[in-house]
Amino acid sequence: MSRALRTVYAKELRDAMRDRRTALMIFIASILTGPVTLVLAAQFISGLEAKADALKVRMAGKQYAPALVNFLQRNDVQIEDAPADYEARVKEGRLDAVIVVPEDFDERFLAGDSAGVDIVYDDSRTDSSPSIRQAERLLRAFNRETGMLRMIARGVSPDLSEPLKVEHVNTATPRQKGAFLLFLIPMFAILSPLLGGMSIAIDSTAGERERGSLEPLLGNPVARWRIVLGKWLAAWTFAAGAAILTLGGFVIATSVYSGHRLASLMTFGAPEFAQFVAMVVPFAAMTSAVQMLICTYGRSYREAQTYVSYLATVASFVPLIVMFTGMKDAFWQLLVPVLGQQVVLARVTRGDAVTLLDWAMPALIAFAIAGIAVAAVSRLLGDERIVFGRS
Amino acid sequence: MIEAVTLAKRFAARKPGAEDVVAVRDVSFRAPDGAITGLLGPNGAGKTTTLRMISTLVQPTAGRAMVDGIDCAAEPLKVRARIGMLSDARGIYARLTARENIRYYGALRGMAPEAVERAIERLSEWLDLRTLLDRRTDGFSQGERMKVAIARTLIDDPGNVVLDEPTNGLDVMTTRSLREVIRRLRDAGKCVLFSSHVMQEVSALCDEIVIVARGAVVASGRAAELLAASGRDNLEDAFVHLAGEESA
Repeated sequence: MSRALRTVYAKELRDAMRDRRTALMIFIASILTGPVTLVLAAQFISGLEAKADALKVRMAGKQYAPALVNFLQRNDVQIEDAPADYEARVKEGRLDAVIVVPEDFDERFLAGDSAGVDIVYDDSRTDSSPSIRQAERLLRAFNRETGMLRMIARGVSPDLSEPLKVEHVNTATPRQKGAFLLFLIPMFAILSPLLGGMSIAIDSTAGERERGSLEPLLGNPVARWRIVLGKWLAAWTFAAGAAILTLGGFVIATSVYSGHRLASLMTFGAPEFAQFVAMVVPFAAMTSAVQMLICTYGRSYREAQTYVSYLATVASFVPLIVMFTGMKDAFWQLLVPVLGQQVVLARVTRGDAVTLLDWAMPALIAFAIAGIAVAAVSRLLGDERIVFGRS
Repeated sequence: MIEAVTLAKRFAARKPGAEDVVAVRDVSFRAPDGAITGLLGPNGAGKTTTLRMISTLVQPTAGRAMVDGIDCAAEPLKVRARIGMLSDARGIYARLTARENIRYYGALRGMAPEAVERAIERLSEWLDLRTLLDRRTDGFSQGERMKVAIARTLIDDPGNVVLDEPTNGLDVMTTRSLREVIRRLRDAGKCVLFSSHVMQEVSALCDEIVIVARGAVVASGRAAELLAASGRDNLEDAFVHLAGEESA
């Protein structure tokens, strides 16, 4: 590394560290991301369990169905009367599910006809689904019991009505159940270098232009590419540092939750951390270089900040796309920046095997893009319009 | 020594159909070592563009600039090592101290750390910087920032010093100490080239005056020669006459 390059690198790092507020913001945001996410996730999971565990149903019109009430009480189910405005409350999300019994229930039931019962719920709210399923399960159990009794009373073997005996065998390992949580770690791994590299990327390009320090800097007998390389290495250092801090925060947070049910759903220890860092450090090389390239077009810090936030928005869409489309893994995904990282990191969190190629392809592409962006910045700084242009 | 030979610079039009901007049409002069040469001209005459071509950051469209006989366009790094340029943009880093700002340029110019510290000592003596050295520059006045910018320009004792409107926006005291520095540089045998649109500035300081108007040199020589050429008895009239003649 040449002396001029080291000089630029050291100056940019020092300058960035002196910007206490920004540096502290990056540091705190990075270190806190993991713990905060896990606390919320743990609460979410406990909430789900609490809802499912307490056997409780809300009914409207329970006086019309003594047989059903009797069945539920025998099964230790707590029955609560639904308020009169239950439909509105379900819509607002204050009630999960309500079993509605019509007035003619008992009449039809005693006659041996099938009697209708409604379950009122709003399935757009995912956190209500345990309650809905519970109500359904209880009604089905009632169905089966009553049906059996009726068949026995008529001298028919109840097995006739059940050609299949269904037992639940869930093949998802506990880790895979927690995978939706683990989408979050790849997402933060991808966003954290964008946050970390931003301040240097802006300050060392648009900031120099705005301050009027770019022209004198370029007047020194140092090749432009060395100056740009030094600046980029500084931005990369910050970007990678922020990512490593963020991931470290997750390791610490998961170890705190080791006794909790959350821990059985997700593992994020030293091996996962190492694999994540190996993916994210090359990725940070790319994000910081691309940020610098975009910011070079900015005439002021503020303008560059706007450009960079667009980049962060685009990048944060990728994990969402993967999450919502349920994309199947394919080789081509490794070739797309951001998507490649997301896919491989998701695989790491699921505990699936990651090959050398899975690591090398996205890393290689990240470095190639970084190289192109650095070369482009170096060219742009030779452009009279960028160096002197205020427009 | 700095030389310009029929320098010209045309900026391509931003929009198609618009006319190109000719910033410099024809500038030739010679600024010798051990002398102060002043580029004098009204705003927009092409002084800054000329100096930028000498500092290698702008490529001339025709003609050439040379520093100590080295072509600015062909060997920019060598030229940059030989000139200290105080450009019209003189931003310094607000979060660094004055010393760190100056040191940065010393290191970029390839000086050994001890040599940088010695040079900072010498320059802070000249520029009365001592009390400012270890303070961060974000609270500095314009004059104080200017001193830091001059110190970093002169850090490696360059043989050629180019100053673009150095006294712009400075108070009387700072202007005086700047003039002092410029004279010292001349006495040390440097080639000093500076631009100004202020008549008195140039006449008080310069050995050679080059009058530029609308992108071309309209007259050059010592003050007395310019008076004679214009047939006026004071320099201001001579300047107005010479610069105006071209634009009329």
